[in-house]
Amino acid sequence: SVQDGSSNNAKTLSSLQVDERRAPLKSWANACGPKECWQSVVDESRMALIKMEPERRWVCIWSSACVSPLMLSSPPFCGADGCMEESVFLYPHGLQGLHSLQALVPSLLRREVEMALEKLDLIFDHTYAWELFLDMMESQKHHTLSNADLPQHFTDATRAILVDWLIQVHEMMHFQDETLYLAIHLLNRSLRQVKVTTANLQLLGIVCLFIAAKKEECLLPEVSELCSLMDHTYTKHQLLRMERKVLSVLKFDLSYCPPLHFLLLFASIARCSDKVVWMGRYLLELSLFEGQCVVFLPSQLAGAALCLARQVLQEPPTPEGEAAWCLAFSIHIGSEMVLLSIMRILASAAAKAQTQDTCATFIKFSSPETMHVSRHPALNIATGVLDVWS
Amino acid sequence: MAHATSIQYEPVAEIGGGAYGTVYKARDTESGQFVALKSVRVQTDQNGLPVSTVREVALLRRLEQFDHPNVVRLMDVCATKRSDQETKVTLVFEHVDQDLKTYLERAPAPGLSPERIKDLMKQLLCGLAFLHTNRVMHRDLKPENILVTSQGQVKLADFGLARIYSCHMALTPVVVTLWYRPPEVLLQSSYATPVDIWSTGCIFAEMFRRKPLFCGDSEVDQLGKIFDVVGLPPEEEWPTDVTLSRKNFPPLLPRPITDVVPEINGQGAQLLQKMLTFDPLKRISALNALEHPYFQDEETLTQTKS
Ligand SMILES: Nc1ncnc2c1ncn2[C@@H]1O[C@H](COP(=O)(O)OP(=O)(O)OP(=O)(O)O)[C@@H](O)[C@H]1O
Ligand SMILES: [Mg+2]
Repeated sequence: SVQDGSSNNAKTLSSLQVDERRAPLKSWANACGPKECWQSVVDESRMALIKMEPERRWVCIWSSACVSPLMLSSPPFCGADGCMEESVFLYPHGLQGLHSLQALVPSLLRREVEMALEKLDLIFDHTYAWELFLDMMESQKHHTLSNADLPQHFTDATRAILVDWLIQVHEMMHFQDETLYLAIHLLNRSLRQVKVTTANLQLLGIVCLFIAAKKEECLLPEVSELCSLMDHTYTKHQLLRMERKVLSVLKFDLSYCPPLHFLLLFASIARCSDKVVWMGRYLLELSLFEGQCVVFLPSQLAGAALCLARQVLQEPPTPEGEAAWCLAFSIHIGSEMVLLSIMRILASAAAKAQTQDTCATFIKFSSPETMHVSRHPALNIATGVLDVWS
Repeated sequence: MAHATSIQYEPVAEIGGGAYGTVYKARDTESGQFVALKSVRVQTDQNGLPVSTVREVALLRRLEQFDHPNVVRLMDVCATKRSDQETKVTLVFEHVDQDLKTYLERAPAPGLSPERIKDLMKQLLCGLAFLHTNRVMHRDLKPENILVTSQGQVKLADFGLARIYSCHMALTPVVVTLWYRPPEVLLQSSYATPVDIWSTGCIFAEMFRRKPLFCGDSEVDQLGKIFDVVGLPPEEEWPTDVTLSRKNFPPLLPRPITDVVPEINGQGAQLLQKMLTFDPLKRISALNALEHPYFQDEETLTQTKS
């Protein structure tokens, strides 16, 4: 839904590329079976008389007295001071007359957010757009983990290999991006809660992807297909048992605000160029490999990825562009320190992406459809770009 | 997992059986709290839990995040295998001591005071408005599914389950009460959130009457009892997608609602009428009902935000 046509093509093409360059998956080719054998999800509408949309992870809420005051508790934009404080960092080119703009920001921002959500097709009803945004900002707080520690017998490297494999399967299945972000989110949580041996790690991973697909997708692969994808290392019974286990351990908490939605929202308000957006998407997807990133809010990951993308590409600034950028980042997502530390993680991930074994994302974003962003030469020295600020 | 659940929740008593399974009172051995366990048996094929079940339960859990005061807490959910064709999904709710049915039965002689009724109604509508704005309908609202805490706080139970059941379950042959069903459901026409408002209207009347408003023993009988009070709707309001013809019913005129609910005040009667409106599109919404003048006067003490 968020994707445009070209990115779908991009996926097909880049998965072909993957095929040529590496032979990463067992039975890779078998798994690309004909679509007819997929189960289709009949999405009957919950309420016949009401205009229905596929279920999204944010359900609409209203702002009357009945709703819990929780979601309104943190103002989404910072005060004048906060904005000025961050301006050094976010608007390196400076912006004259920022003070006079301050007063306009809230209403302007609100309109921009509403327009962007509508443009991105993330809402089903314009009148709820702002509430939805506040809800996104608030509910994402439920979606971080308190620390980056993995159970002892797992390392970040093992996790990265699994993520890399899941990204390839995800791409091969032509799933939506939301499904990938949800799957890795479920994986991060279940890794900490389900007791699995290293031998069953792949099973856990595919089940997280399968559950994410059940939540998000219209077409689902058959379980037998998933099993053959893993060279029948596990039986269908084992897979279904793991599904019940994961759902139970997660208490069916499957709602998630993917960082990608924040990225697209910020980029749309900031009037970012296509290239900046692709670069941002690339850097954001790299965050999935980084175990340390699980402690950050989705909006922080998105904001940092976009800032870094802009920094790397160094497109010539325009007054309109600067103003739009400033407006987008008047949304308070976190301290400069937090954003900077995420940018460092992403910059160093990008610098070494090409040489890693886990390079599914690098390859995905090296296609012409993604504007070859992962091969941008400035990424090799991206960490240097950031040093200027420290 | 089956094992883990049965260890964590120690059954205390059977609370009752509805159309879709039995509810047990149990003790959470971790917290010592009482919980209500409700199991749903879901048909599963070789591809595991049905998508609709996964999405519906996930939505109920999503609603949990709002912590709405008038909705019963869903504390845990568990999926266990029963057979290759069946998975048991156990929903663990907070336990609430009584439902509205018992609460009404236990109320001393003249019944509930008008203020008490108003407060209960306000909380009930608040919970409903919350569900409806989140695109969840109850579909089976009745006094048994409305819980009342010892502090008088209303908590809706069993919402959003109807769809989980209906898709993948063989119904156990229990008589499902028709008394709170709106005409569109009885006529098997399409329906949406207004169904719950009709049921709420029936319950509103029952709080004054201390007995149900429309007690039909079949769909047609139930419709007859409804038209007896609200009158036979005009031809143009009769849904076109139904088999039952309007001609099967005598041409009755609407009676004043105070004939059947004499204790209700003027504003209350007006609101009740808007809830018991035949055409679901013309029926008042939960949010608008809360804005109704009936709720405006000061005397009410509310517990919607405890
Ligand atoms: N969370 C709860 N705490 C305490 N009692 C509950 C709870 N949820 C349900 N009950 C009670 O359990 C009883 C049986 O519930 P159940 O839902 O199975 O049947 P029902 O409400 O009569 O019918 P239906 O299946 O249509 O909802 C009801 O009297 C209800 O009030
Ligand atoms: Mg019930």
